[in-house]
Amino acid sequence: MSIKAINYQFKKKLDSTLGGEAHSLCYQCGACVGDCPAAMYSEDFNPREILLQTLLGDEDTLTGENSPIWNCTNCYTCYERCPQAVRPVEVIIALKNICFEKVTSAPEVAQLVDSVKTTGRTVKITSLSDRRRKELGLKEVKMVPVEELKELFEP
Amino acid sequence: MKYAPFFGCMIAVKYPQMEAAVRKTVKSLGIELVDLEGFSCCPDPIFFKATDKLTWITVAARNICIAEEAGLDLVTMCSGCTATLSEANFHLSHEPELKEKVNQRLKRIGKEYKGTVSVRHIVTVLRDDLGIDRVRESVKKPLEGIKVGIHYGCHLLKPSEIMRVDDPDYPTILETLFSAIGAKTVHHEKQALCCGKACMSESIPEKMTYDVLTSLKKSGADLMGLICPTCFDEFDLGQIKLARKHDGDLKIPIIYYFQLLGLAQGLSPQEMGLHLHKTRADEIIKKLAGSN
Repeated sequence: MSIKAINYQFKKKLDSTLGGEAHSLCYQCGACVGDCPAAMYSEDFNPREILLQTLLGDEDTLTGENSPIWNCTNCYTCYERCPQAVRPVEVIIALKNICFEKVTSAPEVAQLVDSVKTTGRTVKITSLSDRRRKELGLKEVKMVPVEELKELFEP
Repeated sequence: MKYAPFFGCMIAVKYPQMEAAVRKTVKSLGIELVDLEGFSCCPDPIFFKATDKLTWITVAARNICIAEEAGLDLVTMCSGCTATLSEANFHLSHEPELKEKVNQRLKRIGKEYKGTVSVRHIVTVLRDDLGIDRVRESVKKPLEGIKVGIHYGCHLLKPSEIMRVDDPDYPTILETLFSAIGAKTVHHEKQALCCGKACMSESIPEKMTYDVLTSLKKSGADLMGLICPTCFDEFDLGQIKLARKHDGDLKIPIIYYFQLLGLAQGLSPQEMGLHLHKTRADEIIKKLAGSN
């Protein structure tokens, strides 16, 4: 194994991203792995290894287009198990935030946010959904004031 | 007992039978749902949170503000909405700097997050505010002979320091609720497994849902009982996809708690929208008609 130089710049970036700041507390115990469903069902996903890569600041692996982070199931079990309060799932989400900035996230991610921005919802209202609600005796879905939402997206 | 209901996107648009079931069943429990104007998507705790956590919390805070202005606690019917709104409420009330940043954005639309209301999944309202006896008393046709395999899902329970609903490893809230309507709950091996919906790989969630469903089938359960529309999507629609790949149809009806509560209160399967499910619950409906 070759010796890797630590990318402190990337670690700083992660420190300043909400949820990423605790990554440095990881002491690689592996408590996050045992009950991780994605690790159970895939050899390519291991939260301890992802945390090791954050300790080294391995930007390319973590935020490239084929980053393993997208296989996380967001189940929050690692959040429960971690004795160091690293909250691995939150570190992974912080990495996803960095990917979004670098435009390396899957297109579905941006599509969902666009849908919320333009319609206020993730699921599109259709004539079928309207009809179903009516049949069940429900009122029409209320409209979302999207202009208000748009204001909130600006930093 | 008055609450502001938050139905979100999946339930309101894709699975309105769940909304109908909640609205029709809580009436006889003495819960009043006061509909408020202006809610948006919670927003989604998986993809939206994956883009920009600060904006995610800000949009959630706007929804919380609407409830604060009305002076009502928020009740959620979906585990995803519960996760987003509870997490936002928790962080904003514990982190003054974050609250300041979020309020700077909210100021643009004339709102301010104060931290005066709570956010809870409706099942906790049943257990904690109403009391399980009231649920039991509302039952006219107990679901005797029906065996329910529970799927808890993840976001009702975890992270437990924020959710504060139950022990995340040994929860009992849903066993208590399903027992109250006369059903028998059966434990199954993969009960604690996630539905996999949030994972972006195709093969991982597929293997997970298949394992959950086969473990539930092995336990002898007649149906899967759950409280989250995303898990429902994964198991109900997902079962159709699985049937194409695996021999032997699983045919496990997936039913939202309030739909079963409705049947137990004497409401019809049609009113509860059971005909809208991809995996039909005809066998259970027949069984119930026979026993009552």
